[in-house]
Amino acid sequence: MLLELKNIYKWVDQGGKRIFLLKDLSFKVEEGEFISIMGPSGSGKSTLLNVIGMLDDFQEGAYTFLDEQVHSMKDKNRSKLYKEYIGFVFQAYHLIDELTVYENIETPLLYKNVKSAERKALVADMLDRFNIVGKKDLFPSQLSGGQQQLVGVARALIAKPKLLLADEPTGNLNSAQSEEIMKLFKELNNEGVTIIQASHSESNAAYGSRIVKLLDGMVDNS
Amino acid sequence: MLKNYFKIALRNLWKNRTFTALNIVGLTAAFGVAFLLSMYAIFDLSYDRFHENTGSIFSVYANEQTPEGAESDEANPIPFAEALRNEVPGVEHIAKYVTGGVLITYKDKTLGMSSALTDPEFFQIFTFPVLEGDENNLIADKNSIALTRKAATIIFGEEPALGKTVTVQRGGMEVPVTVTAILKDIPETSDFNFSALFNFKSLPDAFYADNLDDWSAHNHSVYLKLADGVTPRQFERSTRTFSELHYADNISSAKRDGAQPNAEGNYRQIKLLPVEDQSFASIKNGVITVSKTLQYIVLGIAFLILFIASVNFINMSIAKSAQRLREIGMRKTLGAGKSQLFFQLWGESGLVFLIAVVLGSLLAVGLLKPFQTLFDTKASFGSILSLPILTAVFLVIGLITLVAGGYPSLLMSKLGTLQALKGKMQNTGKNRLRDVLMVLQFSITILLIAGTLVLWQQLEFLRHKDLGFNKEQVIAFPLNTKQDPDNIIQLLRNELSKSPEILGLTAADDNLGLGRDGRASATVLGFDFKNRQVSTNMLFVDYDYAKTLDIPILQGRSFDRSFPGDSLSVVINEAMVKELGEQDALNVQFYLDDSVKYSVIGVVKDYNFDALDMAIEPITYFMDGGSPMHYVYVKVVPQNLTDSYETVKEAWSRIEPSTLFMGSFLDENIDRTLTKERMMTTMISSGSLLAIVLSCIGLFAISLLVVTQRRKEIGIRKVVGASVSTITILLTKDFLKLVALSFFIATPIAWYFSSQWLQNYVYRINLTLWVFLGAGGIALVIALATIGVRTIQAAMQNPVDSLKTE
Repeated sequence: MLLELKNIYKWVDQGGKRIFLLKDLSFKVEEGEFISIMGPSGSGKSTLLNVIGMLDDFQEGAYTFLDEQVHSMKDKNRSKLYKEYIGFVFQAYHLIDELTVYENIETPLLYKNVKSAERKALVADMLDRFNIVGKKDLFPSQLSGGQQQLVGVARALIAKPKLLLADEPTGNLNSAQSEEIMKLFKELNNEGVTIIQASHSESNAAYGSRIVKLLDGMVDNS
Repeated sequence: MLKNYFKIALRNLWKNRTFTALNIVGLTAAFGVAFLLSMYAIFDLSYDRFHENTGSIFSVYANEQTPEGAESDEANPIPFAEALRNEVPGVEHIAKYVTGGVLITYKDKTLGMSSALTDPEFFQIFTFPVLEGDENNLIADKNSIALTRKAATIIFGEEPALGKTVTVQRGGMEVPVTVTAILKDIPETSDFNFSALFNFKSLPDAFYADNLDDWSAHNHSVYLKLADGVTPRQFERSTRTFSELHYADNISSAKRDGAQPNAEGNYRQIKLLPVEDQSFASIKNGVITVSKTLQYIVLGIAFLILFIASVNFINMSIAKSAQRLREIGMRKTLGAGKSQLFFQLWGESGLVFLIAVVLGSLLAVGLLKPFQTLFDTKASFGSILSLPILTAVFLVIGLITLVAGGYPSLLMSKLGTLQALKGKMQNTGKNRLRDVLMVLQFSITILLIAGTLVLWQQLEFLRHKDLGFNKEQVIAFPLNTKQDPDNIIQLLRNELSKSPEILGLTAADDNLGLGRDGRASATVLGFDFKNRQVSTNMLFVDYDYAKTLDIPILQGRSFDRSFPGDSLSVVINEAMVKELGEQDALNVQFYLDDSVKYSVIGVVKDYNFDALDMAIEPITYFMDGGSPMHYVYVKVVPQNLTDSYETVKEAWSRIEPSTLFMGSFLDENIDRTLTKERMMTTMISSGSLLAIVLSCIGLFAISLLVVTQRRKEIGIRKVVGASVSTITILLTKDFLKLVALSFFIATPIAWYFSSQWLQNYVYRINLTLWVFLGAGGIALVIALATIGVRTIQAAMQNPVDSLKTE
């Protein structure tokens, strides 16, 4: 088992009213799964992904990641854990505008203190694999949306994560580009990377091995 | 990692070129000027601090109580030093010291040099390292001379100087002396500036040998080094019996004249002046006072300017940081730690500062020459190149970058990852820190503008003040001649009387103001009048002095060629009438040297013959015909002053072709005495000019950012019907409030300091609120102009464009 969420509650207080973002949510992920989380806007897809990705806190419940208790962990260890095992892909790509393609992909390695020679080799492999060697010195603004997301995925994968979290990875892309990314995900999953993606689209969700439906912060079992 | 930071820093700076340029220009200007100003101040403040014994070296003077209050006496009698050493405990070393000039002849070369005469113990007190010669036998007798390296090179060239014999002129005789020591050149930062040093005993007998036991001839300075553990206060207190013993006569006449004792009950108090304060000492109201205000003001301006530029930087960084939130958030998701982010962002600020410091130093180097000329200083980078000062400079720069760059970095690195990713900052629209900083910035600016206005007004007031004599039409020039001065005056009188543009000619032994020869002197005479000590300035004049200078005669007459007895007559001013305390001034007669009787024949109206920070003192004109005249005054017609000047100059060149004509109009001479005021005005006004420019850069940048941030709001407001003017008002209102607040903060401070400063002047302007309103107005108008253009532009934009950006 890769991770388990048990009875997670997350809420915000707004104007004296408590609004639940996640409500008694329990969720289990095995290694090698490809999960698509679906649900309408505001159902808590992004929140769930952020919680799993340790970018966000929750108020109640237990979160176990690779047999470690995330909820009772210190910030420092948590960020170590997630630097090691988790990669993120965003709908809006979130590439750093001031860095070239090459440098964007390289950045996670810098924060992991990987040596220069090794970094070069890893980034070169990644560029090769995604067929973007020719674009390595371009800046994000010089790329199309699909290409930018490709770089985003490459960056998420460079540190060899066990888990790839993708929040609407194809939300800003046209259908051809979407399909390309989804095929890539499938391929990655076959290689052993666990993937959790949030998606609106049925066709994208179909690439997954399991679909989890969310409604108002709860898993919709209907 | 570092390379990556560096790269992204450069790209970021390039991306925000406008702001980077504004910041670098502002900081460069600030650093450049701050370097120059602090160089100036530190150079001045480091005077005579290089002596190993600094802290325990003092010059000795005395405060005497007179009926007019305390008066400092810097000169001491010959037996004083030795007696002080023997009778008052605590003196480790003591030396007499007097400066002069000397004519030194070597082979066929004769050179005039500045010299000093002192006791050999001088070297135990001060640190003037000996390069060559026996340290224990430096200026042991009348036949020795010690030279500085520079002086030795001038006299002997490359030849070894030690042991050589030169001749010096002493009392009209050529005396051979031997070079017994070569001293290291005296640092620029020293009040001592002798080239040659002699034993004190080499002074003429009339000065030294005849006065060995005379306590009434005060003629030289005395320096001493206190023994370890003795404080100057203790020492001053323990001299009481010494003063009472040796100055009994002075004390009893002070008592007789009705002088009040000082707070400790003494009529004569020996005082110690630290040698490092020597160059800051001046006589104010009769008493030696040490004032380093100018240096501290200059240093203060340097810091204020740096502060203003740093505030700009902080404000811009905070405002710009909103745009970098996404990057920060992304870096956090990619695994960056807080400290890593902090150092990255701080490093970027550091880079900007580094560039600014380097460019600022270059700017300072480039401006050094004109700066040195303008402010008449020898300060250079050398004067701040000492370890403690450099450390301080680096600490200050480090601190500024830490605050200026670190604060925004801290803000951003502390932000939650998700918030950052969404690009949101808890931005309530109000930015308290920014407002506070801007208020401070504008307060400083208004303070400096007000200071400039006050200084400038006072300077103009002094320059145009009616001094009581005709300064516009009178040319004064020194009688530099080897011929008989009286003869020259007569020849000039004959020559010039032919020219219609010359209205009169006279002479005196002193100049008015400061002439081109830069000499200033005053002769003060004290005598007993009706069993009371009175004192007066004395001036030896030629006929027509009052008439040539247009000094009105109130009573009696001036010296007249038809009265042969006038060599025993004097003319006095109103202040002297008061000093004498006589109703009928024209009947006053007094004796000088116990035997010669002088009678007052006339009274002139008071006029400012002295520096303008002093009240008018008593003055007495003598005309005994025997005293040498040093300055000639020529009154010319008011038209074509330059032509008249040429006429006088030509006449001089015909009569005395061998020396240069050094004449100048009296108003120029008066201007020359106001150098300090002019320098301060220049410094403060250039400081405030820079402060204005820097504040405007900051304001401009902030208004630019605010306009961008509120673009959508402006669009919406326009769509619902707001006009250009209401939007402009909306956008500028907030800034103008800050300027107004600054005005209320700065005005009382400016008022306090300028009124304090004006207390230094007997003749001063009245402070009115207008000056401060003016300063505030200037700041307001400039602020308005700075933000106005960009704001109106934003307000006039088509709302469709601004709404589309969403």
